[in-house]
Amino acid sequence: MTKDKLSNFSRRTFLGATAAGATVLAAPFVKPSWANERKIVMRDPGGPFTPGFGAAFYEPFKKETGIEVVGLQSSHEPTGQIKAMIEAKNYTWDGASLSKASHQSLVNLGYLEEIAPKGGPGPNLSKIPESMRTPHLMGTDVYATLIAYRTDTMGKNPPKNWKDLWDVKGVPGARSLRKHPFDTMEAALMADGVAPADLYPIDFDRAFKSLDKIKDDVAVWWTGGAQTSQLLKAGEVDCLFTWNGRAQVAIDDGAPVELVWDQALWTFEGWTILKGGPKADLVREFIEFCAQGKQQALYTPHVAYGPTAPDAYEFVDPERAKVLPTNPEYIKKMVNVDTDFWGKNKESASEKFNAWLLS
Amino acid sequence: MSGSLKPALKSRIWRFWPLYPAALFLGFFFLYPSVLLLSISFVDGEGALSAVHYKHLFASATYVKVLLITLKIAGWTTVFAILAGYPVAYLLATVKSSTRNSLIIWVLMPFWTSFLVRTFAWIVLLGRKGAINQWLEALGFVDRPVAMIFNFTGVMIGMVHALMPLCILTMLSVMENIDRNLTKAASTLGARGGPAFWRVYFPLSVPGIAAGGMLVFITALGFFITPALLGGARDTMIVQVIIFQIQEVLNWGFAGAVAMLLFVSVVAIFVLYDRLLGLSTLSGQSEQGSGGRSGLVARIGKVLGGLFIELMATLTEWMGRLWDTIFPRRADVARTSFARGGAWVTALLVIAFLALPALFIIPVSFTEAGFLSWPPKGFSTKWYESVIGSGIWFNAALRSFVVAIMSAFFGMCIGVPAAFFLARQNFFGKGAVFAFLVSPIIIPNIIIAVALFYLYSRLGLTGTTIGLVFGHTILAIPYVVITIMAVIKNYDIRLDQAAWTLGANKIKTLWLVTFPLIRAGMIAAFMFAFIISFDELTIALFVTGGEVTTLPKQMWDDALLRVSPALAAVATLLLLFMSAFILLSEFIRRRSAS
Repeated sequence: MTKDKLSNFSRRTFLGATAAGATVLAAPFVKPSWANERKIVMRDPGGPFTPGFGAAFYEPFKKETGIEVVGLQSSHEPTGQIKAMIEAKNYTWDGASLSKASHQSLVNLGYLEEIAPKGGPGPNLSKIPESMRTPHLMGTDVYATLIAYRTDTMGKNPPKNWKDLWDVKGVPGARSLRKHPFDTMEAALMADGVAPADLYPIDFDRAFKSLDKIKDDVAVWWTGGAQTSQLLKAGEVDCLFTWNGRAQVAIDDGAPVELVWDQALWTFEGWTILKGGPKADLVREFIEFCAQGKQQALYTPHVAYGPTAPDAYEFVDPERAKVLPTNPEYIKKMVNVDTDFWGKNKESASEKFNAWLLS
Repeated sequence: MSGSLKPALKSRIWRFWPLYPAALFLGFFFLYPSVLLLSISFVDGEGALSAVHYKHLFASATYVKVLLITLKIAGWTTVFAILAGYPVAYLLATVKSSTRNSLIIWVLMPFWTSFLVRTFAWIVLLGRKGAINQWLEALGFVDRPVAMIFNFTGVMIGMVHALMPLCILTMLSVMENIDRNLTKAASTLGARGGPAFWRVYFPLSVPGIAAGGMLVFITALGFFITPALLGGARDTMIVQVIIFQIQEVLNWGFAGAVAMLLFVSVVAIFVLYDRLLGLSTLSGQSEQGSGGRSGLVARIGKVLGGLFIELMATLTEWMGRLWDTIFPRRADVARTSFARGGAWVTALLVIAFLALPALFIIPVSFTEAGFLSWPPKGFSTKWYESVIGSGIWFNAALRSFVVAIMSAFFGMCIGVPAAFFLARQNFFGKGAVFAFLVSPIIIPNIIIAVALFYLYSRLGLTGTTIGLVFGHTILAIPYVVITIMAVIKNYDIRLDQAAWTLGANKIKTLWLVTFPLIRAGMIAAFMFAFIISFDELTIALFVTGGEVTTLPKQMWDDALLRVSPALAAVATLLLLFMSAFILLSEFIRRRSAS
């Protein structure tokens, strides 16, 4: 009985590969001790942020101070991971780039260090507007959640605000909304006529009533940023709301897409320091460095998010400034997201939202 | 025999040795840390014993609804994977080996395209402006685009496609051990092809269906990216809820409660399954021998199964007679087998479905555009240059390869003895041991990831490749156990006994007789373990903190803002490499055999 079957293709070669692989394995088996080195590990968002932050922050900082900064990536909003690191006292990262909402969850647990040294914030950090930093977070970049539409299909009758996005009959086109309460609640309320100043605290009942009106007309409920740029680029939907950087990627690749800055929602992300980490002071030094406008301007060619330092626009290419959210033209028309509210209501909001989706 | 233990006790302890490696490994790396983590669900914010999280869980219908949706999606995925996969497995098991080996390459294609690329390929293929709708509209079949994704259909397409190879390979490894002379004997005795298949072949292949179905079902429970990207408003998986609680809300007690809800439901389904079909469909007990399964549910299961087989056999019998009445048979002409032709057509269609996204990715990767798109814009090799030019991708691929091989190897070393023991021995608590060994795929990866992080922090294993290997080994063991158990079910132990009588010792018998005969199952098990590790992202991101770059991690990182054709290029290279690898080892084997 010979069985020359599916089985046959592998054993020998697998064994060979195992032997070859032992070399790769050997290197990272022993974890290097960084404790005494002048080196910090920062979690960053990765993707185009890697070259962006490298050019703007990591490389120049090393040149100036000799301190090496290693950028590592993780899943989105890794607050759970940071909680685990702090509780286990295992500081894989010294600091992390977090959104303001995520930073709020960790602040509530007391898991972040203050970013300013004992003597108070340094000269660069103090220049960052109060609205773009907190005691535990220095904003590196501002991002906007806004409406983006295809000009080839909706150019003649484009959505100009949230009301239009909800007006399926008056402004026809396939739509996509976010499968998450963040931003969706604000959008639903403004579509229902709530003034930006009256958004918070969110009136959930009213928001869901507003969402009821377009529930059946939502072609796609998106869950990730990369998905929205794909949807826009392919014309899979005609309009949606997403983060401006994601839509910008589609525009930069030649997609006929226009952004609506009116009533866009803005918030920011930036550097935080893990509570009790051994390198907290080095990270503070790094954060002070990153608060300089001329440094922040250097990431803008890579990532279409807005620098927080007031003087940054002196160093930004004027063409590029047209697509950045902190452009003074845009930011005055936009609405600031209340992350304190979301920090307290994230869980219940998500529960309500899921219940609504399934109803 | 020195030692203080009584010989009887000692031999009883020794009897269970094949289970020890699995028990020790999973006990230390999985059970201990996971129980610690899940136990948080039983205490409130102040650390006092409390049911607060469980009250919360059932305070509204939402979480139960999400659980039911999850079970529904996993259940239908299993049904479709079995229905579509069975003809393919049957065909592969009954063609000559060279044909089989070239067909298997196509069946395996979904394995080598990363889940991220595959899912985006479906969007580009099946979307409103996708390739298929473009063709349908151009040919005038439809006036407006057919909604194939962003609904339940999309979820099914994505999940069945991803999981069917698992089902096919499991069924195949069982079918390969079915003696085809049995069906021939039935024909000699006058049975037509149809009834002979249903009464003889099909019952023997049931362990494969059971094992394949179970693997698909529990793997499907853990899927969340595919349903999130291809589904509609209502297609939410319970794992998403758990991840949200752990990563964003930081309410780990509640996350633990949701995970417990999932775990308990799946165990309940297992118990029902055991009562209905018997774990014996997976293990080696013969139906007559075990009398362990009695009771109403078991009898219903038996009766229903018997009825189904009778029904199919009778149906095919009638159809055959009808055919013979309309077209009387001539003694000098061989009977044409329509069933065989039908199996071929179905199987080839299914294989085309499996290979489609992979083949679609190849032209897409040569686009000049910055996105996956159809039709591809121009022709450019720039994405290949960017991938090959930077060492990052090569290193990531090599590391993933090594991690996957090592995880699969450890998984085999630990899982195979346990599977043999479970399949061949009867002992009290066998069901519980089985549930324990497969529980790593029922507990969501994010829970294992967090639990491992705490354990590794104490051991200094965070950020190490070997820590990642152990993490993936945990996931590999269930696949190995289920697959190997299914193969041993049909294994004729008299072959081993024959070897013993001829003077071979146990190890020699194992090496020279048993392993070669179940080689198909061994390779399938190894391949599952390999691919589970090769595509795994959650544990890799969490326990290494991003320090160890694997291929899925690099892809994830690259896809932050968009899924660029660079990922399609990576997928294409991987596809070519893996297929070449399989062909080459087949070639080497044939040369060394001749």
